Amino acid sequence: MKNQYNSSRRRFLKGMALAASGVIVPGFAPARAKALITKPIPSSKEHIPVIGLGSSRTFNVGNDPLGLDNVAEVMHHFFNAGGKMIDSSPMYGSSQPAIGYGLKKLGKMNDVFSADKVWTWNSGLGSEQMEQSRQFWKVDSFDLMQVHNLVEWEDHLKTLYRMKQQGKIRYVGITTSHGRRHDELEDIMKSQPLDFVQFSYNVLDRVVEQRLLPLAMQRGIAVIINRPFQRGDLIEELEDKPLPKWAATIGCDNWPQFLLKFVVSHPAVTCAIPATTQVEHVKENMAACLGLLPDKTMRIRMIDYVENII
Amino acid sequence: MGELASYRLSDFILFSQAAYYRQFEFYNQAIWPLHIVAIIFALIIFYTLWKKPFWAGRGVALLLVVSWIWVAWAFLYQRFYQIHVVADWYALGFILQAGLIVWYGLIKKRFTQLSESRLGVKIGTGILFVALVFYPFIAFIVGRSWTQFELFALSPDPTVLATLAILLLYKASVALYVIPVIWILLSAITQYAM
Repeated sequence: MKNQYNSSRRRFLKGMALAASGVIVPGFAPARAKALITKPIPSSKEHIPVIGLGSSRTFNVGNDPLGLDNVAEVMHHFFNAGGKMIDSSPMYGSSQPAIGYGLKKLGKMNDVFSADKVWTWNSGLGSEQMEQSRQFWKVDSFDLMQVHNLVEWEDHLKTLYRMKQQGKIRYVGITTSHGRRHDELEDIMKSQPLDFVQFSYNVLDRVVEQRLLPLAMQRGIAVIINRPFQRGDLIEELEDKPLPKWAATIGCDNWPQFLLKFVVSHPAVTCAIPATTQVEHVKENMAACLGLLPDKTMRIRMIDYVENII
Repeated sequence: MGELASYRLSDFILFSQAAYYRQFEFYNQAIWPLHIVAIIFALIIFYTLWKKPFWAGRGVALLLVVSWIWVAWAFLYQRFYQIHVVADWYALGFILQAGLIVWYGLIKKRFTQLSESRLGVKIGTGILFVALVFYPFIAFIVGRSWTQFELFALSPDPTVLATLAILLLYKASVALYVIPVIWILLSAITQYAM
């Protein structure tokens, strides 16, 4: 499954590349030294780093003081490397209070780009759940609130649009994962004034390149990518395989950077949100925010290489 | 609720193995010295099955009821629910099982006749031994901190296993097996998905 764009999409792609000039440049033109690679949110032109931080599983540590301190340590290195967006959900157990613990400990409540979700089948409880989430995070308000896995999306989106109008959130989004319910998501993206959409994408699972990513570009919707490592499975499969020498030309020293740069170099992708419990991993991931991003030719080479060795 | 069908059970296992077993560590610290009570429970069960006093069936049923309710409240709801968003439903299931044992073992007094099947007795005794004696040492044996041990009457897996053993030994109604078997499946899936 190769990356294919039709001519109109190519024109749009070019426009996006120009908008992000200095970030994605065909032919590997260098980005500013040590400058973080950022991309604009189409609806506001606000730039955010292309690597964020997910919290599914990894930050769900309950009341474990060691676990909470480890979360704070991971967040410390994330922020130190210039990271902004942290993503969570009420579905992720104690991840939200853990993030709040880290933000308070690090004094970063005003620096984080806070992305959370509403996840309840009782749409009347959505506002209450979001307020509970806000208190867990210890932030004044969320930057981005998303409908989790399309759950009761019609009602929740109405609530989110109202909250955006009232200034309680800045962006509205919707999410899915594991490649599920793409047809419904596509219809929503076509009909709703979304700021963000979130779904799964990685070097092996590229089905979203067919319709969802081009549609996001056409509609001016920012794209967050979850599961860039297939929940760690890709890393496990690749860790014993040799990284190609040419990976160095796009600033990749290891497989996580290779996989992340592949994901965020798609012109429609705004950022990826890998999750980790380890400081070394968050450093590796954030290093994918530096240097060069592959262009279309290099992306095809990356796909071919990975498909041949797995 | 149609969206619920698009979820798999593994989608709800959103915690790591480390976080899961740390819950047992903190739980054990928090409830000490109730472990002594749990060990006394286990000894009473062995005694009643060996000596068969007239109160054996009701005694065993009462211990199981207390254990299931305690695990539901103190571990599943108070502790596990922190990291697992459906653990409150698990707790409800445990309460329901406690109710079934009350009805069957205490009200109907059906824990009276021990199985005469040699195979049933062997299997039941074997499972009971694993649940009451061997299970607490698993954490240590597999290389985890011994403080993460799981004890009958305090933690779900050994409590469910011991219950299954007792149901086998007393040839109990099939209805009483449903929740323990579901739990074993859930526990296995959790272990696999973590």
